[in-house]
Amino acid sequence: MTRAARVLGALLALTLPFWLQNPYYLHVVIMAGIFGVLSLSLNLLLGYTGQLSLGHAAFFGIGAYTSALLTLGLAWPVWPAMLAAVALAALAGWVIGRLALKLRGAYFVLVTISFAGVVSLVSVNWMELTNGPLGLPGVPAPELGPWSLRTKTAYYYLVLAAVALSYLVCARLVRSRIGRAFLALRENEPLAESVGVDVTHYLVLAAVVSAGLAGLGGSLYAHYTRFVSPEVFLFTYTVTMVIMVVAGGKGTLAGPLVGALLFTALPEALRLATSWQWQMLAYGVLLLLLVYFLPRGIVPALRELRGRRAS
Amino acid sequence: MTKRWAVLATLVAAVLLAASVLVEAQAPVKIGVIQPLSGPVAASGNYVRMGAEIARDWINAKGGVNGRKLELVIEDNKSDPKEAASAAEKLIVRDKVPAIMGAWGSSMTLAAMPKLEEYGVPMVVETSSAASVTKRGNPWIFRISPPSEMEALGLERHLDKLGVKRADFLAVNTDWGRGAVGAFGDMLKKKGAAVGAAEFMDQAATDMNAQITKIKATGGDTLFLTTAVEQITLVLKQSQEQRLGRKIVTTGGSSSPTQLIKQAGAAAEGSYHIVFFMPWFPEAMPDGRLAKAFVDEWGKRGHPFEGLTEGFRGHDGIATIAEAVRVAGKDEPKAIREALWKVSLMGVNGPIKFEKDGPAGKESGQSKPSIFVVQIKNGKVALPW
Amino acid sequence: MNGLVLGGTYALLGIGLTLIFGLMNVVNFAHGEFYTLGAYAAFATLAGLGGGFVAAVLGAIVCGALLGGLTERVLLRPLRGESIDTTMLVMIGVWIAMQNAELLVWGGVAKSIPHPFPTEPLVLGPVAIAPLRLFVMALAAGLIAASYLLIHRTKLGRAMRATFQDAETAALMGVKIERIHTVTFAFGSGLAAAAGALLGPVFLAYPSMGDLAALKAFSVVILGGLGNLPGATLGGLLLGIAEELGAGYVSSGYRDAVGFVIIIVVLLFRPSGLFARQERIG
Repeated sequence: MTRAARVLGALLALTLPFWLQNPYYLHVVIMAGIFGVLSLSLNLLLGYTGQLSLGHAAFFGIGAYTSALLTLGLAWPVWPAMLAAVALAALAGWVIGRLALKLRGAYFVLVTISFAGVVSLVSVNWMELTNGPLGLPGVPAPELGPWSLRTKTAYYYLVLAAVALSYLVCARLVRSRIGRAFLALRENEPLAESVGVDVTHYLVLAAVVSAGLAGLGGSLYAHYTRFVSPEVFLFTYTVTMVIMVVAGGKGTLAGPLVGALLFTALPEALRLATSWQWQMLAYGVLLLLLVYFLPRGIVPALRELRGRRAS
Repeated sequence: MTKRWAVLATLVAAVLLAASVLVEAQAPVKIGVIQPLSGPVAASGNYVRMGAEIARDWINAKGGVNGRKLELVIEDNKSDPKEAASAAEKLIVRDKVPAIMGAWGSSMTLAAMPKLEEYGVPMVVETSSAASVTKRGNPWIFRISPPSEMEALGLERHLDKLGVKRADFLAVNTDWGRGAVGAFGDMLKKKGAAVGAAEFMDQAATDMNAQITKIKATGGDTLFLTTAVEQITLVLKQSQEQRLGRKIVTTGGSSSPTQLIKQAGAAAEGSYHIVFFMPWFPEAMPDGRLAKAFVDEWGKRGHPFEGLTEGFRGHDGIATIAEAVRVAGKDEPKAIREALWKVSLMGVNGPIKFEKDGPAGKESGQSKPSIFVVQIKNGKVALPW
Repeated sequence: MNGLVLGGTYALLGIGLTLIFGLMNVVNFAHGEFYTLGAYAAFATLAGLGGGFVAAVLGAIVCGALLGGLTERVLLRPLRGESIDTTMLVMIGVWIAMQNAELLVWGGVAKSIPHPFPTEPLVLGPVAIAPLRLFVMALAAGLIAASYLLIHRTKLGRAMRATFQDAETAALMGVKIERIHTVTFAFGSGLAAAAGALLGPVFLAYPSMGDLAALKAFSVVILGGLGNLPGATLGGLLLGIAEELGAGYVSSGYRDAVGFVIIIVVLLFRPSGLFARQERIG
């Protein structure tokens, strides 16, 4: 992206609530932002270390529940609860990271799915802690000094800040020595190991950061929708994140954000365009077409296009 | 000169005013509908939708509401609370509906409730049974379906005739199932009956043999079953295979006895069912003529008979909102809410009138629906006593 | 007893998926949808066309195989060089499309699939089992045996094994690699459809029935080791029995957790699957 385009984009993003007055569209953008944080987090594992984590909804859900339970049950203010959510999710990431030490590829995938499955079942059955299927309604909105961030405009800026923060964290990580180690891991693990890259250390690091960011996304979700129920652990959330990352372009930084925006807006656009019977069928078909024509993802395809035009 | 301009201005204003009134008069009254039209309970959501469509067509055939046609804007909540909230937002902001009916499952309804308060739009709840829906202090909620406590009360007077001494529970692991176990358990204990085991099953589970084995071991005489009709079918079949051999009472009104007879066959024989609509005996309903007309219209449209036990909810919900719009005289959300407190109409289930429920100052509306018990005898639905 | 019935069908699902996931390296999220399709195909045959039960199962297999082969040919073959994530995304799209198409065609109401068996259970000693379940078990066993015969005794099976052991050499020997891939996918999908047709009448048919089934299929594949047919068979049986026992003696709510916990434990201690020592097909 050229410098001018980037400045323009930033300006648009910063002033969004003022020219996008429709609260429904603002709602879609906020959800896209939350999923943007989630997609960036999944991209760390999937795109950069090459590990396919299909249990990412578990970290999202752990973040959401932690935040909700602390603010509802123990009357914590939102900000420390959010930090706790990130910490707890990161801890879960550490556990998975250590487990992954022994496993690669398909096996890692299955452990992550199983982990998410077990956490989901716990949230449904452990009534005393999570209130089970009844869910946790009335999660409070965050407060900044005297202002309550209940309004959509205020929450938009919170989410925007979170997205920027996540992007920065990922960018710094990826461009550092650690990031190079990730890439080495992804491309050729035995070779990386032979050159002295501490594979286990980096995998765990990636898992911890990835999970922590997902926990942040979960906390943001909980305080926005103000209702948390075991459905957050649904596999469909993980699938959605995967779609966003891979279709957007895994291994790039902009890809997951593009994917998040596109695939949050798409179902809503379909909701507006077609009647309820055809929505999801159209979604599936569109997804198929997208992958068929742009197998590497949108952002890499755009870059290729620009490269071709330049040459 | 000024006079002529004044006359012209008045004429133009008058024409514009007339035009806007006319346009207003022709603009339909929109009602939002949020139901699970896909996912595990898609059948129920679709039945409610079909009932709502019948109500809409009947009202429009009689000239609409305040001279305007009724239009339903239907959204699918995909059995996901997040979708229910999004659908509510879309209906309120984009479609500008002044009232909504929804959202079937209690989690979906609870998730949509903050949006109602945020924008100030009333919602008529037609199926959800969790007590929290009306106890949370949301003054935009009006429920016509009975919470589990009310259902339990409705069964109380039949308890001696049923002869329940020791009961066990098998319920779906959702707010609905758990709420029913709590409410019925309390009612039974109050009447001096013993409560044995309370087992739960996952909403998507198909094999309940383990739970049935545990229940078999308690030595009780009655099993209270709370779940959707598909799982009831499976439980009945598996109970028969295991020779459970005791009285079965289903709660929640979603058991669709006709479908059970078709799908469970002999396994359903002898079971009792709490329902809120008896399409087999429409004349026995509070408004026999309306009930019979509904059953006939349903059949005329080729909808499956077994859907009637849930479809009527859609009809009653829409009829309630339409009546409120009529009383209010306009389709504006606050006015409709005030009017909902005033309405008193006859639905397919029976009389609908809202009473205050929940914390003072922020009460929700709760109506007192009629509750019936039927039994499957000799492969047919019968009145047990 | 029930564990065996479930186990047999899990084995069918597992064999199909171990071929597709283990050998072709495709994360087939749509595997559950072929299972569902099989159930609906059986429903269409039994309820609509009035055919017999065995005919229904065969019809389901044919449907599954045809659609599977078509999917491979049209969607997967052009994307052969792409990463595993891309093919996975394609299968996710197929999954969403198929499930919603089923919803559109048959509606959300669960269908009870009629079957010609009496419902009174047969009592064999302390165990009572419905005749339908017995038949399902028998048919599943038959199909598993047939699969083995195909893989080990026929020329096609030899070609398949050759392709997945060493594609280049196989090609040099005259094996049409592309076609083998299509056939393998079709075979795997056909087995999934068979599982659906068999279990459909035992339970009910509804559009989302495949989701949980697919997850269990993946567990079975891991349990048995990727590409390991006998492993998948035994894994399927084990999972079925473990689930029944787990639900009975632990808590019923955590029943599905049994499958997950097994996976985690096995993978922690025997990452290549319980039966890795046995013969791998590819």
